[in-house]
Amino acid sequence: MEKRGKAIILVVDRDPHVRELEAHFLGQAGYDVIFEQDGNGALERARELSPDIIVTEILVPGLDGLALCRQLKAGPKTRGIAVLVFSVLATAGRAAEAGADAFLQKPLTDHALVETVARLLASAKKAGT
Amino acid sequence: MSNPAATPVVRISSGSREVDEVLGGGLPENSINIVMGEPGSGKTTLAEAFLFANANDAKRPVLFLTTLSEPLEKVIRYGQQYRFFDADKIGTAVLYDSIAADMVTGGVSTLVPKLKEAIKAHSPRLIVIDSFKVIHDLAKSPEEVRLMLHEAAGLLTAYNVTVLLVGEYRHEDIARYPEFAVADGIIELARNALGSRDERYLRVFKLRGSSYREGSHAFEISSDGLQVYPRLVSPVEAASYQRSSKRASSGVPGLDAMFAGGVWQGSATLVAGPTGSGKTTMGIQFVVEGLKQGERCLLVNFQENPTQLAHQLEQIGGKLDAETRERLQLQYHSAVELPIDRIVVSIFKALRRSPIHRVVIDAVGDLAVAANDAARLHDYLYAMGQHFAVMGVSSLLTLEVDAGVEATSAIQGRLSHMTDNIVYLTLESRSGTMARSIRVAKARGLGHDLQPSGLQIDARGLQVIERS
Repeated sequence: MEKRGKAIILVVDRDPHVRELEAHFLGQAGYDVIFEQDGNGALERARELSPDIIVTEILVPGLDGLALCRQLKAGPKTRGIAVLVFSVLATAGRAAEAGADAFLQKPLTDHALVETVARLLASAKKAGT
Repeated sequence: MSNPAATPVVRISSGSREVDEVLGGGLPENSINIVMGEPGSGKTTLAEAFLFANANDAKRPVLFLTTLSEPLEKVIRYGQQYRFFDADKIGTAVLYDSIAADMVTGGVSTLVPKLKEAIKAHSPRLIVIDSFKVIHDLAKSPEEVRLMLHEAAGLLTAYNVTVLLVGEYRHEDIARYPEFAVADGIIELARNALGSRDERYLRVFKLRGSSYREGSHAFEISSDGLQVYPRLVSPVEAASYQRSSKRASSGVPGLDAMFAGGVWQGSATLVAGPTGSGKTTMGIQFVVEGLKQGERCLLVNFQENPTQLAHQLEQIGGKLDAETRERLQLQYHSAVELPIDRIVVSIFKALRRSPIHRVVIDAVGDLAVAANDAARLHDYLYAMGQHFAVMGVSSLLTLEVDAGVEATSAIQGRLSHMTDNIVYLTLESRSGTMARSIRVAKARGLGHDLQPSGLQIDARGLQVIERS
Protein backbone atom coordinates (compact mmCIF):
# COMPACT_ATOMS: atom_id res chain seq x y z
CA MET A 1 0.00 0.00 0.00
CA GLU A 2 1.34 3.42 -0.89
CA LYS A 3 2.43 5.66 1.98
CA ARG A 4 -0.04 8.44 2.79
CA GLY A 5 -0.14 11.24 5.34
CA LYS A 6 -3.47 10.72 7.09
CA ALA A 7 -5.11 7.34 7.27
CA ILE A 8 -8.23 7.09 5.11
CA ILE A 9 -11.36 5.59 6.61
CA LEU A 10 -14.24 4.58 4.34
CA VAL A 11 -17.53 4.66 6.23
CA VAL A 12 -20.41 2.65 4.74
CA ASP A 13 -23.75 3.54 6.30
CA ARG A 14 -27.15 4.64 5.06
CA ASP A 15 -27.91 6.68 8.22
CA PRO A 16 -26.91 10.32 7.74
CA HIS A 17 -26.59 10.90 11.51
CA VAL A 18 -24.18 7.99 11.91
CA ARG A 19 -22.16 9.19 8.92
CA GLU A 20 -21.99 12.73 10.25
CA LEU A 21 -21.03 11.73 13.79
CA GLU A 22 -18.46 9.17 12.60
CA ALA A 23 -16.93 11.80 10.32
CA HIS A 24 -16.73 14.23 13.21
CA PHE A 25 -15.17 11.90 15.78
CA LEU A 26 -12.80 10.18 13.32
CA GLY A 27 -11.86 13.54 11.80
CA GLN A 28 -11.17 14.87 15.29
CA ALA A 29 -8.89 11.87 15.84
CA GLY A 30 -6.87 12.87 12.76
CA TYR A 31 -8.26 10.64 10.00
CA ASP A 32 -9.62 11.42 6.55
CA VAL A 33 -13.15 10.09 6.24
CA ILE A 34 -14.99 9.26 3.04
CA PHE A 35 -18.49 7.81 2.69
CA GLU A 36 -20.56 5.36 0.75
CA GLN A 37 -24.22 4.61 1.33
CA ASP A 38 -24.36 1.14 -0.22
CA GLY A 39 -22.20 -1.97 -0.47
CA ASN A 40 -21.62 -1.96 -4.24
CA GLY A 41 -20.42 1.64 -4.17
CA ALA A 42 -18.17 0.82 -1.25
CA LEU A 43 -16.57 -2.14 -3.08
CA GLU A 44 -15.85 0.01 -6.12
CA ARG A 45 -14.43 2.80 -3.93
CA ALA A 46 -12.26 0.35 -2.00
CA ARG A 47 -10.75 -1.05 -5.21
CA GLU A 48 -10.14 2.44 -6.48
CA LEU A 49 -8.81 4.16 -3.31
CA SER A 50 -7.47 1.37 -1.07
CA PRO A 51 -8.55 3.00 2.19
CA ASP A 52 -6.78 1.97 5.39
CA ILE A 53 -9.98 0.86 7.10
CA ILE A 54 -13.57 0.24 6.05
CA VAL A 55 -16.20 0.76 8.72
CA THR A 56 -19.42 -0.81 7.51
CA GLU A 57 -22.95 -1.39 8.76
CA ILE A 58 -24.37 -4.80 7.79
CA LEU A 59 -27.73 -3.31 6.82
CA VAL A 60 -26.77 -1.29 3.74
CA PRO A 61 -28.48 -1.33 0.32
CA GLY A 62 -27.20 -3.46 -2.55
CA LEU A 63 -24.35 -5.58 -1.29
CA ASP A 64 -24.82 -6.00 2.47
CA GLY A 65 -21.98 -5.34 4.90
CA LEU A 66 -21.09 -9.00 5.41
CA ALA A 67 -21.08 -9.75 1.66
CA LEU A 68 -18.95 -6.65 1.15
CA CYS A 69 -16.53 -7.93 3.76
CA ARG A 70 -16.29 -11.39 2.08
CA GLN A 71 -15.65 -9.84 -1.35
CA LEU A 72 -13.02 -7.49 0.05
CA LYS A 73 -11.20 -10.35 1.78
CA ALA A 74 -11.39 -12.47 -1.40
CA GLY A 75 -9.93 -9.80 -3.67
CA PRO A 76 -6.13 -9.69 -4.03
CA LYS A 77 -6.16 -5.86 -4.16
CA THR A 78 -8.46 -5.38 -1.19
CA ARG A 79 -7.77 -8.26 1.22
CA GLY A 80 -5.26 -6.13 3.16
CA ILE A 81 -7.87 -3.49 4.04
CA ALA A 82 -8.99 -3.83 7.68
CA VAL A 83 -12.76 -4.16 8.00
CA LEU A 84 -14.67 -3.03 11.07
CA VAL A 85 -18.28 -4.20 11.07
CA PHE A 86 -20.25 -1.57 12.99
CA SER A 87 -23.85 -2.67 13.14
CA VAL A 88 -27.08 -2.42 15.02
CA LEU A 89 -27.25 -6.24 14.73
CA ALA A 90 -25.59 -8.29 17.48
CA THR A 91 -23.70 -10.49 15.02
CA ALA A 92 -20.05 -10.52 16.09
CA GLY A 93 -19.80 -14.22 15.13
CA ARG A 94 -21.13 -13.74 11.61
CA ALA A 95 -18.85 -10.74 11.14
CA ALA A 96 -15.83 -12.84 12.14
CA GLU A 97 -16.92 -15.65 9.76
CA ALA A 98 -17.11 -13.10 6.94
CA GLY A 99 -13.49 -12.19 7.65
CA ALA A 100 -14.03 -8.91 9.55
CA ASP A 101 -11.09 -7.73 11.62
CA ALA A 102 -13.30 -6.27 14.36
CA PHE A 103 -16.92 -5.86 15.35
CA LEU A 104 -18.69 -3.08 17.24
CA GLN A 105 -22.36 -2.90 18.03
CA LYS A 106 -24.30 0.33 17.61
CA PRO A 107 -25.12 2.85 18.98
CA LEU A 108 -22.08 4.94 18.35
CA THR A 109 -19.79 5.64 21.27
CA ASP A 110 -17.00 7.88 20.05
CA HIS A 111 -14.30 6.47 22.34
CA ALA A 112 -15.04 2.87 21.38
CA LEU A 113 -15.03 3.70 17.67
CA VAL A 114 -11.84 5.78 17.73
CA GLU A 115 -10.02 3.25 19.93
CA THR A 116 -11.01 0.31 17.68
CA VAL A 117 -9.94 2.15 14.54
CA ALA A 118 -6.62 3.09 16.18
CA ARG A 119 -6.04 -0.53 17.22
CA LEU A 120 -6.77 -1.81 13.69
CA LEU A 121 -4.41 0.73 12.18
CA ALA A 122 -1.66 -0.21 14.65
CA SER A 123 -2.11 -3.93 13.78
CA ALA A 124 -2.02 -3.17 10.06
CA LYS A 125 1.14 -1.10 10.51
CA LYS A 126 2.78 -3.87 12.54
CA ALA A 127 1.83 -6.46 9.90
CA GLY A 128 3.22 -4.22 7.17
CA THR A 129 6.65 -3.72 8.79
CA MET B 1 -37.10 -16.61 21.91
CA SER B 2 -34.30 -14.21 22.77
CA ASN B 3 -31.26 -13.97 20.56
CA PRO B 4 -28.31 -15.51 22.45
CA ALA B 5 -25.92 -13.20 20.58
CA ALA B 6 -27.74 -10.10 21.82
CA THR B 7 -25.77 -8.09 24.32
CA PRO B 8 -27.44 -7.60 27.70
CA VAL B 9 -29.26 -4.31 28.19
CA VAL B 10 -27.11 -1.75 29.99
CA ARG B 11 -29.21 0.17 32.54
CA ILE B 12 -29.08 3.82 33.50
CA SER B 13 -29.72 4.07 37.24
CA SER B 14 -31.88 6.72 38.86
CA GLY B 15 -29.76 6.52 41.98
CA SER B 16 -32.80 5.10 43.82
CA ARG B 17 -33.07 1.35 44.38
CA GLU B 18 -36.87 1.59 44.38
CA VAL B 19 -37.18 3.64 41.16
CA ASP B 20 -34.76 1.26 39.46
CA GLU B 21 -36.81 -1.70 40.75
CA VAL B 22 -39.98 -0.24 39.16
CA LEU B 23 -38.04 0.23 35.89
CA GLY B 24 -36.78 -3.36 35.85
CA GLY B 25 -33.27 -2.24 36.82
CA GLY B 26 -33.14 1.31 35.43
CA LEU B 27 -33.75 2.91 32.06
CA PRO B 28 -32.30 0.94 29.14
CA GLU B 29 -29.25 2.74 27.78
CA ASN B 30 -29.66 4.63 24.48
CA SER B 31 -33.40 5.06 25.00
CA ILE B 32 -35.61 8.13 24.59
CA ASN B 33 -37.91 8.58 27.55
CA ILE B 34 -40.69 10.99 28.45
CA VAL B 35 -41.22 12.09 32.06
CA MET B 36 -44.73 13.53 32.15
CA GLY B 37 -46.84 15.18 34.84
CA GLU B 38 -48.44 18.39 35.93
CA PRO B 39 -46.39 21.28 37.33
CA GLY B 40 -45.09 20.41 40.80
CA SER B 41 -45.38 16.67 40.28
CA GLY B 42 -41.63 16.03 40.69
CA LYS B 43 -40.56 15.64 37.05
CA THR B 44 -37.50 17.86 37.21
CA THR B 45 -36.47 16.29 40.54
CA LEU B 46 -36.60 12.80 39.00
CA ALA B 47 -34.68 13.96 35.91
CA GLU B 48 -31.98 15.58 38.06
CA ALA B 49 -31.72 12.42 40.19
CA PHE B 50 -30.93 10.47 36.98
CA LEU B 51 -28.49 13.20 36.00
CA PHE B 52 -26.40 13.12 39.17
CA ALA B 53 -26.58 9.32 39.52
CA ASN B 54 -24.78 9.10 36.17
CA ALA B 55 -22.37 11.98 36.59
CA ASN B 56 -19.25 9.95 37.13
CA ASP B 57 -17.15 10.58 34.05
CA ALA B 58 -16.13 14.01 32.80
CA LYS B 59 -15.29 12.41 29.43
CA ARG B 60 -18.94 11.41 29.12
CA PRO B 61 -20.81 14.09 31.07
CA VAL B 62 -24.53 14.41 31.63
CA LEU B 63 -26.33 17.39 30.14
CA PHE B 64 -29.39 19.31 31.33
CA LEU B 65 -30.93 21.59 28.70
CA THR B 66 -33.66 24.00 29.72
CA THR B 67 -35.99 25.44 27.13
CA LEU B 68 -38.67 27.98 27.86
CA SER B 69 -40.32 26.72 31.03
CA GLU B 70 -38.00 27.67 33.87
CA PRO B 71 -34.91 29.89 33.86
CA LEU B 72 -31.71 27.88 34.21
CA GLU B 73 -30.76 29.70 37.43
CA LYS B 74 -34.00 28.63 39.06
CA VAL B 75 -33.53 24.99 38.08
CA ILE B 76 -30.03 24.99 39.60
CA ARG B 77 -31.07 26.94 42.71
CA TYR B 78 -33.86 24.50 43.58
CA GLY B 79 -31.85 21.48 42.50
CA GLN B 80 -29.32 22.28 45.23
CA GLN B 81 -31.92 21.46 47.88
CA TYR B 82 -31.48 17.78 47.15
CA ARG B 83 -28.75 15.64 48.67
CA PHE B 84 -27.87 14.09 45.32
CA PHE B 85 -26.92 17.52 43.92
CA ASP B 86 -23.12 17.79 43.81
CA ALA B 87 -21.99 21.33 43.02
CA ASP B 88 -18.39 20.14 42.53
CA LYS B 89 -19.46 18.25 39.40
CA ILE B 90 -21.08 21.23 37.69
CA GLY B 91 -19.07 22.23 34.65
CA THR B 92 -17.24 18.89 34.38
CA ALA B 93 -19.37 15.75 34.76
CA VAL B 94 -22.65 17.72 34.90
CA LEU B 95 -23.39 20.41 32.34
CA TYR B 96 -26.36 22.77 32.53
CA ASP B 97 -27.29 24.89 29.54
CA SER B 98 -30.23 26.86 28.22
CA ILE B 99 -31.39 26.67 24.62
CA ALA B 100 -34.25 29.10 25.22
CA ALA B 101 -32.73 31.98 23.22
CA ASP B 102 -31.99 29.77 20.19
CA MET B 103 -35.50 28.38 20.24
CA VAL B 104 -37.07 31.82 20.49
CA THR B 105 -35.15 33.14 17.50
CA GLY B 106 -34.88 30.01 15.37
CA GLY B 107 -37.95 27.98 16.38
CA VAL B 108 -38.08 24.23 16.95
CA SER B 109 -35.80 23.47 14.01
CA THR B 110 -32.85 24.70 16.09
CA LEU B 111 -33.16 21.77 18.49
CA VAL B 112 -31.54 19.06 16.34
CA PRO B 113 -28.51 21.19 15.37
CA LYS B 114 -28.10 22.13 19.06
CA LEU B 115 -28.22 18.47 20.09
CA LYS B 116 -25.74 17.53 17.36
CA GLU B 117 -23.44 20.30 18.51
CA ALA B 118 -23.71 19.10 22.12
CA ILE B 119 -22.93 15.50 21.13
CA LYS B 120 -19.92 16.53 19.08
CA ALA B 121 -18.61 18.85 21.79
CA HIS B 122 -19.27 16.79 24.93
CA SER B 123 -20.03 13.13 24.05
CA PRO B 124 -22.81 13.16 26.70
CA ARG B 125 -24.02 9.97 28.31
CA LEU B 126 -27.38 11.42 29.36
CA ILE B 127 -29.37 14.39 28.08
CA VAL B 128 -32.36 15.94 29.85
CA ILE B 129 -34.54 18.44 27.96
CA ASP B 130 -36.88 20.36 30.27
CA SER B 131 -39.46 21.28 29.05
CA PHE B 132 -39.85 19.40 25.80
CA LYS B 133 -43.55 20.10 25.52
CA VAL B 134 -42.71 23.69 24.64
CA ILE B 135 -41.93 22.56 21.07
CA HIS B 136 -45.68 22.51 20.43
CA ASP B 137 -46.00 26.16 21.42
CA LEU B 138 -43.11 27.22 19.19
CA ALA B 139 -43.79 25.11 16.11
CA LYS B 140 -45.48 26.71 13.12
CA SER B 141 -47.24 23.48 12.23
CA PRO B 142 -47.66 19.87 13.42
CA GLU B 143 -45.62 18.86 10.34
CA GLU B 144 -42.67 20.88 11.62
CA VAL B 145 -42.86 19.03 14.95
CA ARG B 146 -43.01 15.64 13.22
CA LEU B 147 -40.05 16.44 11.00
CA MET B 148 -37.98 17.68 13.91
CA LEU B 149 -38.90 14.61 15.99
CA HIS B 150 -37.92 12.26 13.17
CA GLU B 151 -34.54 13.97 12.92
CA ALA B 152 -34.04 14.11 16.69
CA ALA B 153 -34.99 10.46 17.18
CA GLY B 154 -32.59 9.41 14.40
CA LEU B 155 -29.73 11.39 15.92
CA LEU B 156 -30.37 10.30 19.49
CA THR B 157 -30.63 6.66 18.44
CA ALA B 158 -27.45 6.77 16.34
CA TYR B 159 -25.37 8.07 19.23
CA ASN B 160 -25.11 6.18 22.52
CA VAL B 161 -26.97 8.62 24.71
CA THR B 162 -29.98 8.18 27.00
CA VAL B 163 -32.55 10.96 26.84
CA LEU B 164 -35.19 12.25 29.23
CA LEU B 165 -37.77 14.55 27.69
CA VAL B 166 -39.54 16.30 30.55
CA GLY B 167 -42.93 17.88 29.96
CA GLU B 168 -46.18 19.04 31.56
CA TYR B 169 -48.10 16.49 29.52
CA ARG B 170 -51.58 15.23 30.36
CA HIS B 171 -53.04 11.81 29.64
CA GLU B 172 -54.82 12.96 26.49
CA ASP B 173 -51.46 14.16 25.10
CA ILE B 174 -50.26 10.55 24.83
CA ALA B 175 -52.59 9.94 21.88
CA ARG B 176 -52.20 13.47 20.50
CA TYR B 177 -48.46 14.19 20.37
CA PRO B 178 -46.05 12.25 18.14
CA GLU B 179 -43.20 12.23 20.70
CA PHE B 180 -45.10 9.55 22.62
CA ALA B 181 -44.88 7.22 19.62
CA VAL B 182 -41.17 7.92 19.26
CA ALA B 183 -40.44 7.45 22.98
CA ASP B 184 -39.07 4.13 24.24
CA GLY B 185 -40.20 4.85 27.79
CA ILE B 186 -43.00 6.89 29.36
CA ILE B 187 -43.01 7.65 33.09
CA GLU B 188 -45.91 9.55 34.61
CA LEU B 189 -45.82 11.39 37.92
CA ALA B 190 -49.31 12.15 39.24
CA ARG B 191 -50.79 13.76 42.30
CA ASN B 192 -54.27 12.95 43.56
CA ALA B 193 -56.08 14.71 46.38
CA LEU B 194 -57.17 12.23 49.05
CA GLY B 195 -59.11 13.88 51.86
CA SER B 196 -56.88 16.49 53.43
CA ARG B 197 -53.67 15.01 51.99
CA ASP B 198 -52.23 14.45 48.54
CA GLU B 199 -51.04 11.11 47.28
CA ARG B 200 -48.32 11.05 44.65
CA TYR B 201 -47.95 8.18 42.21
CA LEU B 202 -45.31 7.11 39.71
CA ARG B 203 -46.48 5.00 36.83
CA VAL B 204 -44.62 3.50 33.86
CA PHE B 205 -46.72 3.38 30.70
CA LYS B 206 -44.16 1.95 28.35
CA LEU B 207 -40.56 0.74 28.49
CA ARG B 208 -39.34 -0.85 25.28
CA GLY B 209 -36.88 -3.69 25.65
CA SER B 210 -37.51 -4.08 29.36
CA SER B 211 -39.95 -5.52 31.82
CA TYR B 212 -41.19 -3.10 34.48
CA ARG B 213 -43.41 -3.07 37.56
CA GLU B 214 -46.91 -2.17 36.37
CA GLY B 215 -49.43 -0.11 38.31
CA SER B 216 -49.26 3.01 40.46
CA HIS B 217 -46.35 3.29 42.89
CA ALA B 218 -46.72 5.78 45.72
CA PHE B 219 -43.93 8.25 46.32
CA GLU B 220 -43.00 11.21 48.44
CA ILE B 221 -40.53 13.98 47.73
CA SER B 222 -37.90 14.52 50.40
CA SER B 223 -34.40 15.98 50.50
CA ASP B 224 -33.25 12.69 48.95
CA GLY B 225 -35.48 13.26 45.91
CA LEU B 226 -38.27 10.83 45.06
CA GLN B 227 -38.87 8.19 47.74
CA VAL B 228 -40.82 5.57 45.81
CA TYR B 229 -42.68 2.69 47.44
CA PRO B 230 -43.01 0.02 44.73
CA ARG B 231 -46.43 -1.60 44.66
CA LEU B 232 -46.35 -4.94 46.44
CA VAL B 233 -46.92 -7.88 44.12
CA SER B 234 -47.19 -11.57 44.94
CA PRO B 235 -43.93 -13.49 45.16
CA VAL B 236 -42.99 -15.46 42.05
CA GLU B 237 -42.36 -18.64 44.07
CA ALA B 238 -45.86 -18.55 45.65
CA ALA B 239 -47.02 -21.68 43.86
CA SER B 240 -44.16 -23.90 44.98
CA TYR B 241 -43.50 -23.16 48.65
CA GLN B 242 -43.83 -25.88 51.32
CA ARG B 243 -46.39 -25.51 54.09
CA SER B 244 -45.10 -26.12 57.62
CA SER B 245 -46.33 -29.22 59.45
CA LYS B 246 -45.96 -27.47 62.82
CA ARG B 247 -48.65 -25.62 64.76
CA ALA B 248 -48.53 -22.05 66.04
CA SER B 249 -50.17 -21.70 69.44
CA SER B 250 -52.50 -18.71 69.77
CA GLY B 251 -51.59 -18.00 73.39
CA VAL B 252 -55.32 -17.87 74.22
CA PRO B 253 -56.15 -20.68 76.65
CA GLY B 254 -58.73 -22.98 75.06
CA LEU B 255 -58.51 -21.56 71.52
CA ASP B 256 -55.92 -24.02 70.17
CA ALA B 257 -58.28 -26.87 71.07
CA MET B 258 -60.96 -25.28 68.84
CA PHE B 259 -58.41 -25.62 65.99
CA ALA B 260 -57.68 -29.25 66.93
CA GLY B 261 -54.26 -28.28 68.25
CA GLY B 262 -53.60 -24.78 66.91
CA VAL B 263 -53.33 -23.13 63.49
CA TRP B 264 -50.57 -24.15 61.08
CA GLN B 265 -47.34 -22.22 61.27
CA GLY B 266 -47.15 -19.84 58.32
CA SER B 267 -50.94 -19.55 58.04
CA ALA B 268 -52.98 -16.34 58.09
CA THR B 269 -55.73 -15.88 60.68
CA LEU B 270 -58.44 -13.24 60.52
CA VAL B 271 -59.94 -12.19 63.85
CA ALA B 272 -63.16 -10.24 63.28
CA GLY B 273 -65.43 -8.67 65.84
CA PRO B 274 -67.03 -5.47 67.08
CA THR B 275 -65.35 -2.80 69.22
CA GLY B 276 -64.42 -4.15 72.64
CA SER B 277 -64.70 -7.80 71.67
CA GLY B 278 -61.01 -8.52 72.38
CA LYS B 279 -59.35 -8.42 68.92
CA THR B 280 -56.34 -6.33 69.97
CA THR B 281 -55.91 -8.42 73.12
CA MET B 282 -55.93 -11.61 71.04
CA GLY B 283 -53.26 -10.10 68.80
CA ILE B 284 -51.11 -9.25 71.81
CA GLN B 285 -51.54 -12.77 73.25
CA PHE B 286 -50.48 -14.21 69.87
CA VAL B 287 -47.30 -12.11 70.01
CA VAL B 288 -46.61 -12.89 73.69
CA GLU B 289 -46.95 -16.63 72.96
CA GLY B 290 -44.48 -16.32 70.08
CA LEU B 291 -41.99 -14.51 72.29
CA LYS B 292 -42.36 -17.22 74.96
CA GLN B 293 -41.41 -19.79 72.33
CA GLY B 294 -38.28 -17.86 71.39
CA GLU B 295 -39.75 -16.47 68.14
CA ARG B 296 -39.28 -13.02 66.62
CA CYS B 297 -42.51 -11.03 66.39
CA LEU B 298 -43.76 -7.87 64.70
CA LEU B 299 -46.82 -6.03 65.95
CA VAL B 300 -48.20 -3.39 63.58
CA ASN B 301 -50.74 -1.02 65.04
CA PHE B 302 -52.58 2.04 63.75
CA GLN B 303 -54.36 3.22 66.87
CA GLU B 304 -52.01 3.01 69.81
CA ASN B 305 -48.46 4.29 69.96
CA PRO B 306 -45.55 1.94 70.86
CA THR B 307 -45.50 3.10 74.51
CA GLN B 308 -49.17 2.24 75.00
CA LEU B 309 -48.69 -1.05 73.20
CA ALA B 310 -45.63 -2.01 75.25
CA HIS B 311 -47.65 -1.30 78.39
CA GLN B 312 -50.46 -3.63 77.24
CA LEU B 313 -47.93 -6.28 76.30
CA GLU B 314 -46.38 -6.20 79.76
CA GLN B 315 -49.81 -6.39 81.38
CA ILE B 316 -50.48 -9.64 79.54
CA GLY B 317 -47.03 -11.12 79.12
CA GLY B 318 -45.28 -9.70 82.18
CA LYS B 319 -42.10 -7.61 82.13
CA LEU B 320 -40.06 -8.37 79.04
CA ASP B 321 -36.36 -9.00 79.62
CA ALA B 322 -33.79 -7.43 77.27
CA GLU B 323 -33.36 -10.57 75.16
CA THR B 324 -37.14 -10.94 74.67
CA ARG B 325 -37.55 -7.23 73.97
CA GLU B 326 -34.90 -7.55 71.24
CA ARG B 327 -37.05 -10.17 69.49
CA LEU B 328 -40.08 -7.88 69.44
CA GLN B 329 -40.67 -5.08 66.95
CA LEU B 330 -43.50 -2.63 67.40
CA GLN B 331 -44.60 -0.43 64.54
CA TYR B 332 -47.05 2.41 64.83
CA HIS B 333 -48.35 4.06 61.67
CA SER B 334 -50.87 6.79 61.17
CA ALA B 335 -53.23 5.38 58.56
CA VAL B 336 -54.69 8.84 58.00
CA GLU B 337 -51.34 10.36 57.08
CA LEU B 338 -49.55 7.56 55.26
CA PRO B 339 -50.26 5.72 52.02
CA ILE B 340 -50.59 1.95 52.32
CA ASP B 341 -47.50 1.52 50.16
CA ARG B 342 -45.29 3.17 52.74
CA ILE B 343 -46.76 1.08 55.54
CA VAL B 344 -46.26 -2.15 53.63
CA VAL B 345 -42.67 -1.20 52.70
CA SER B 346 -42.01 -0.56 56.38
CA ILE B 347 -43.39 -4.01 57.32
CA PHE B 348 -41.25 -5.73 54.69
CA LYS B 349 -38.15 -3.80 55.72
CA ALA B 350 -38.63 -5.25 59.23
CA LEU B 351 -39.03 -8.73 57.72
CA ARG B 352 -35.86 -8.32 55.68
CA ARG B 353 -33.80 -7.04 58.63
CA SER B 354 -34.20 -10.28 60.57
CA PRO B 355 -36.38 -13.37 60.17
CA ILE B 356 -39.80 -12.76 61.73
CA HIS B 357 -41.98 -15.69 62.80
CA ARG B 358 -45.21 -13.89 63.74
CA VAL B 359 -46.85 -10.72 62.45
CA VAL B 360 -49.97 -9.08 63.85
CA ILE B 361 -51.71 -6.32 61.88
CA ASP B 362 -54.18 -4.47 64.06
CA ALA B 363 -56.38 -3.51 62.26
CA VAL B 364 -56.97 -4.16 58.57
CA GLY B 365 -59.77 -1.58 58.53
CA ASP B 366 -57.16 1.10 59.19
CA LEU B 367 -55.17 -0.14 56.21
CA ALA B 368 -58.32 0.34 54.14
CA VAL B 369 -58.21 4.05 55.03
CA ALA B 370 -54.61 4.21 53.85
CA ALA B 371 -55.37 2.22 50.70
CA ASN B 372 -57.83 4.65 49.20
CA ASP B 373 -59.87 1.99 47.42
CA ALA B 374 -61.02 -1.56 48.11
CA ALA B 375 -59.37 -3.11 45.05
CA ARG B 376 -56.00 -1.64 46.03
CA LEU B 377 -56.38 -2.98 49.58
CA HIS B 378 -57.33 -6.39 48.22
CA ASP B 379 -54.23 -6.50 45.98
CA TYR B 380 -51.99 -5.53 48.87
CA LEU B 381 -53.48 -7.96 51.36
CA TYR B 382 -53.35 -10.81 48.86
CA ALA B 383 -49.72 -10.13 47.97
CA MET B 384 -48.78 -9.63 51.62
CA GLY B 385 -50.48 -12.92 52.56
CA GLN B 386 -48.57 -14.74 49.81
CA HIS B 387 -45.26 -13.26 50.96
CA PHE B 388 -45.98 -14.24 54.57
CA ALA B 389 -46.86 -17.79 53.51
CA VAL B 390 -43.70 -18.19 51.42
CA MET B 391 -41.60 -16.77 54.26
CA GLY B 392 -43.28 -19.07 56.79
CA VAL B 393 -44.60 -16.13 58.83
CA SER B 394 -47.70 -16.85 60.93
CA SER B 395 -49.95 -13.80 60.67
CA LEU B 396 -52.96 -12.56 62.57
CA LEU B 397 -55.07 -9.76 61.08
CA THR B 398 -57.79 -8.08 63.07
CA LEU B 399 -60.89 -6.57 61.51
CA GLU B 400 -63.59 -4.51 63.15
CA VAL B 401 -67.13 -5.44 62.11
CA ASP B 402 -70.48 -4.21 63.37
CA ALA B 403 -71.96 -6.09 66.31
CA GLY B 404 -74.02 -9.05 65.19
CA VAL B 405 -72.75 -8.84 61.62
CA GLU B 406 -70.58 -11.45 59.99
CA ALA B 407 -69.36 -11.41 56.42
CA THR B 408 -71.18 -8.35 55.20
CA SER B 409 -68.47 -5.83 54.53
CA ALA B 410 -66.60 -5.86 51.26
CA ILE B 411 -63.27 -6.09 53.05
CA GLN B 412 -64.40 -9.06 55.10
CA GLY B 413 -65.68 -10.89 52.05
CA ARG B 414 -62.35 -10.45 50.31
CA LEU B 415 -60.37 -11.32 53.42
CA SER B 416 -62.31 -14.54 53.92
CA HIS B 417 -60.88 -15.89 50.67
CA MET B 418 -57.38 -14.76 51.46
CA THR B 419 -56.97 -16.03 55.01
CA ASP B 420 -56.55 -19.62 56.14
CA ASN B 421 -58.42 -19.27 59.41
CA ILE B 422 -61.29 -17.05 60.55
CA VAL B 423 -62.27 -16.39 64.14
CA TYR B 424 -65.36 -14.36 65.04
CA LEU B 425 -65.60 -12.62 68.37
CA THR B 426 -69.06 -11.43 69.41
CA LEU B 427 -70.56 -9.34 72.16
CA GLU B 428 -74.21 -9.93 72.95
CA SER B 429 -76.62 -8.84 75.59
CA ARG B 430 -77.98 -11.75 77.59
CA SER B 431 -80.30 -11.29 80.55
CA GLY B 432 -79.27 -7.68 80.81
CA THR B 433 -75.51 -8.34 80.83
CA MET B 434 -73.03 -8.38 77.97
CA ALA B 435 -71.57 -11.79 77.14
CA ARG B 436 -68.59 -12.57 74.90
CA SER B 437 -68.36 -15.53 72.59
CA ILE B 438 -65.89 -16.92 70.08
CA ARG B 439 -66.43 -19.03 66.99
CA VAL B 440 -64.03 -20.59 64.47
CA ALA B 441 -65.65 -20.11 61.06
CA LYS B 442 -62.80 -21.45 58.95
CA ALA B 443 -59.62 -23.44 59.58
CA ARG B 444 -57.92 -24.48 56.34
CA GLY B 445 -56.54 -28.00 56.50
CA LEU B 446 -57.69 -28.55 60.07
CA GLY B 447 -60.62 -30.24 61.76
CA HIS B 448 -62.29 -27.61 63.87
CA ASP B 449 -65.17 -27.03 66.22
CA LEU B 450 -67.83 -24.88 64.54
CA GLN B 451 -69.77 -24.34 67.76
CA PRO B 452 -69.35 -21.01 69.54
CA SER B 453 -67.76 -20.98 72.97
CA GLY B 454 -67.81 -18.45 75.74
CA LEU B 455 -64.96 -15.98 76.10
CA GLN B 456 -63.71 -14.35 79.23
CA ILE B 457 -61.37 -11.38 79.45
CA ASP B 458 -59.34 -10.30 82.48
CA ALA B 459 -55.96 -8.66 83.15
CA ARG B 460 -54.12 -11.68 81.68
CA GLY B 461 -56.08 -11.54 78.44
CA LEU B 462 -58.69 -13.72 76.76
CA GLN B 463 -59.63 -17.23 77.81
CA VAL B 464 -62.08 -19.60 76.13
CA ILE B 465 -64.66 -20.97 78.56
CA GLU B 466 -67.56 -23.36 78.27
CA ARG B 467 -70.69 -21.56 77.19
CA SER B 468 -73.09 -21.38 80.14
